[in-house]
Formats: sequence, C-alpha cells, structure tokens
Amino acid sequence: MAFDRQREEFEARRQRALAMGSSRRLAERKAAGILNARERVDSLLDAGSFIEAGLLATSARPDMRDKSPADGVVSGFGRIDGRHVGVNAADFTTLGSSSAEIHGKKQHYVRETSRRNGMPLVNLMECAGGRIPDIMGAAGIGRAGEGSRYTHPRTHPWAAAVLGLTYGGGAFTCINSDFVVMRKGAVLAVSSSNVTSVAIAEDMDPEALGGWRLHSEVTGFVDSVVDSDGEAIAQVRAFLSYMPDNASLPPPASATFEEAPGARALDTLVPESRAKVYDIRNVIRAIADRDTVFPLKERFAKVAVTALGRIRGRTVGFIASNPMFKGGALDPDACDKITSFIVLCDSFNIPLVFLADTPGFLVGAESEKRRLPGKIMNFMAALEMSTVPKIALVLRKSYGQAYLNMGGGKADVTATWFSGDISFMDPAVAVNVVHGVKPGEQPEQYGRLLEEVSAGTTAYELAAPFMAQMVIDPNQTRDFLAGMLEVLSRRMTNGIGEHRLSAWPPAF
Amino acid sequence: MARSTVRTEITGKVWKVTATAGQSLAEDDPIVILESMKMEIPVPAPVACKVIEVLVAEGDAVTEGDVIAHIEG
Repeated sequence: MAFDRQREEFEARRQRALAMGSSRRLAERKAAGILNARERVDSLLDAGSFIEAGLLATSARPDMRDKSPADGVVSGFGRIDGRHVGVNAADFTTLGSSSAEIHGKKQHYVRETSRRNGMPLVNLMECAGGRIPDIMGAAGIGRAGEGSRYTHPRTHPWAAAVLGLTYGGGAFTCINSDFVVMRKGAVLAVSSSNVTSVAIAEDMDPEALGGWRLHSEVTGFVDSVVDSDGEAIAQVRAFLSYMPDNASLPPPASATFEEAPGARALDTLVPESRAKVYDIRNVIRAIADRDTVFPLKERFAKVAVTALGRIRGRTVGFIASNPMFKGGALDPDACDKITSFIVLCDSFNIPLVFLADTPGFLVGAESEKRRLPGKIMNFMAALEMSTVPKIALVLRKSYGQAYLNMGGGKADVTATWFSGDISFMDPAVAVNVVHGVKPGEQPEQYGRLLEEVSAGTTAYELAAPFMAQMVIDPNQTRDFLAGMLEVLSRRMTNGIGEHRLSAWPPAF
Repeated sequence: MARSTVRTEITGKVWKVTATAGQSLAEDDPIVILESMKMEIPVPAPVACKVIEVLVAEGDAVTEGDVIAHIEG
C-alpha cells in the first residue's frame, strides 16, 4: 500500500504523544479519581468534535524532545452543545505542565485563533510553574514575556477550571478568565510552597497557600467550588450556556422555559417588617425561570448576590443585597464582587437586574480601613460606564449612596415594590441624627418625629416626582421584569453594548 | 467532635441571646441576634452543633470578628 512506511511512522509518533507523560503518574491519577488532560477534553467537548493543534509539538530543547509529548498541554478546537470553543488543557503528567516556550506558543495559538474567530476559550489548568531550566537566566525570563499572553480583551468569554496544583502562568491564566471553577484539593498560587519556604522562610501547607477555602471565601478569585473534575467541567459548560460566543453577539436565548414555583407569591418570601432578615436567593430563584439561577462567588461577600439566570428564556445578570448576611449592608468585598459582575455582564451584552433591600453601605472603622469609599466609586464607575440594559428594583428599603449604587435613578428604569422605603438614611436613624431625639429618652417626641420622617420615604414619594417610573406589587415582579427586558432589548444595536469596560482590570 | 468558636461578622449590639449552654443546634440556627444598621441580624451556628458557652449578654456591644460562643460539632 502507498505510504505504508510513512503512515506507520506517523501512527507511532501520534500514539507516543497521545500516551502523555509517565505511566506511573497516569495510574496514580486514575486511582485517585482525577481525570487526565485528554479525558478532561473528551468530557468537555461534544463527542468526536476535537481538532487538536500541536499534538506533535515538543520542548524547544533538543535533549527533552522525547520527554515532552505535546509539550505538556492538550490544545485545539471543538464544540460544546454544537458551539465552537478553543481549549487548552494542562497535562500535568508531562513535566508538570510547566510553562516553557513551545508550551506557551501552543496556548497562545489557540487563544488568538479563538479571539479572531469569536469563540469562547476554555482553560483546564494545572501548572507546576515556570519550567526549569528553560526559564532560568536572563534569556530564559526575557523570552517568557514575549507576546500578549497576559491580556484578555473580553471580546470572547474565557472560562477556567483549577484542577490541580496551579502555579505561575497557569494561575495567571485563571485570574484573567471571566469564570473560574476550582476542584477541592486543587491549589492556585503565584508560587509553590517549595519556593515560598526558601524565598521568605515560610513553611506552608499548599491548601492554606491557595486552596479552595481561601479563594472562594477570602480572595474571591474563584466563582464556584466543586468536588470532582467532572463537576468542574459541567460548571464550565453551564457558564458558557449563558454567554454569547463573542462580544458582538447577544447571549443565547432559551426557547423553552418554565415559571418557578412561588413566582407569584414573593410576598410570602419577604417579611413585612424591614428589620427582619430573609434570604434574597429564594426571591431570585422564584423570579427567574425554573432551575436557571447560576450564582457566581457564592461563598465570597455573601451580603451581595451575583448570579446569572434567565427570565422568559433571556439571559440576565442578577445583582442583589442579601439581608440574611450583615443585614444586607454592602461592605468593601461586596463592592468588588458586584463591580466584577457588572464588567462581566456589560462585556457580553447581558442585561442587569438590581434587587435592593439594603440599610446602606456598611459604615465603620473596619470598612474604611478596607477602602470602602474607593470600592464604592469603582462600583459606581462600572455602573455608569456600562451600556447594557439595567433595571433597578427596590424591595423594602434602600438608603443613602447604596440606593444610587444599586441602580436607583441610574438604571434605564427605577421601580419599587409598594413596600419600598427610600431615603438618605433609615427614618429611625434620621430622627436620632437630625433631631437628636432617642427612643429611650423621649419616646413620645420620637414617635411623632418618626412618623413625620417616614411619611417622606415611601414608594409613593419616589413615584410622585417620577424618580421611580413604576410602583409594583411584589407578586408582579416577574411579569414586570420580563416586560421591561423586552422594552430595553436595544433593537437599534441588536442588543450589543459599547463595551467601555472591556479594559477593566482582571482582578480586584 | 471538634470544638470551635463562632464569631460575629458585623459590629453592633446584642439584641437577644437565643441559645443556651448545652443546647443542640442545627446548622444556621441563631445563637444570638445582633442589632446593627437598624436590622435584626442573626449570628447562626456554622454547623450542626452543641453550644458549650455563649460569651455575650443582651445589650453587649460587639465588634466584627468578636467570639460570641464556643461550640462543639
């Protein structure tokens, strides 16, 4: 047969590369229930859709060519639910998927091809850090800075999964991504505990250095935490189902949807007394199409809820204060969380729905120390520069600067439940601050003044000067939002915004 | 069963103490309720647990991060 000898060599080379790194390491992973890079790609993509780039690429160092199948990263293109994506999947069994010249060149190629062709990029990451000795010396580190590997222009969505020890370049790729899911047991840090123990004489458990608790609860770098590789990949697919292929398209709409239970009984989820707490997530789940709410950074800054979801099939981003935590008083971390979510939604043409039930920003020495005024202004800058449709809705109360930050008077439409109470501060605080009257000392005068002040803070006082365009019954919320989302669908631009936030920094 | 501490996440005043030493609590059951920002804000049990000691009383001022109870669970 023609080409027999050449085909044989081709197959042998292919099989060697497909086998990845050491068989011992592959067996160890299998025993631990951790997928290898190729299994991950298979479970991410529609069956048979993968087109690999650089299968036969190897290390740039001649002496390492036989030890570097695909140079430690499985790269290429495929489809998720029929839609094209680019993928870079780290192969940790090959030199720890460490950063090196060809390894980086391959990732850059997929990243750039995905950008130019307007399709999402998926980063399935593990990384031992910079490859030694490749990166050593002036020429080594000098070469590492070439190209645009550190810039994500938000023209196409990036989703990342942290699936093992992920240091250096691998960690930076995740930080630059629009969505990051982390498997428990994985680590994300600038450098490994081996390096930190020498560099700053700090011995540290890798989990404490960059484990899931740190990143989901303290840094907020991780959007979602799961127990297995399979769940992480399912989260990547779910995130992308809300995203357009690129910033010049509206997000995909779902043709079928179902109203959630409780959609017309929101008044049973929210206590009438403004002092009582409740979980706003139940309200969001009731407003959105059934089973479509996809929370981001749920364990970080819990006083703010940021979640993707759908209303009558349309993708929306929900931003809400949650009275269940800190009474709904927005703190510096909550500002960071909301700001990054506004940037995400604005970049990908996803309308925003603000649900405010907040006593205001969390004032006090601790908040000031943690830069609250700066965080409030970053939040406000993102809000004012965003060009996606925005709907601001007050549920029970919204006071002070937080009223404005939660879209009050800033959104395309400001509305309030009939229970809304809106002012510079809570009427009970105002009586004390403005009139110097305390309930314990002059109860009668306090009661009279409270009534006086409260008369000026009702929903109707916001509606009369047309500062709220609508006052609604809580149980009409879903219909109101669905109707206004249709009105604000930006037909002149086909729903595409100006993307003035596309150069916003990747992290906070 | 591991012993641990429960801390406040907000500065305020203790409005009500709702749990007592020896009591068993489910996750998210309130241990005390704080008054802050004119809201009644519960400090919940982080896990299902037994209360060993509640360290604050009604009317006490607390600062973010203060330990308000020891629990086992």
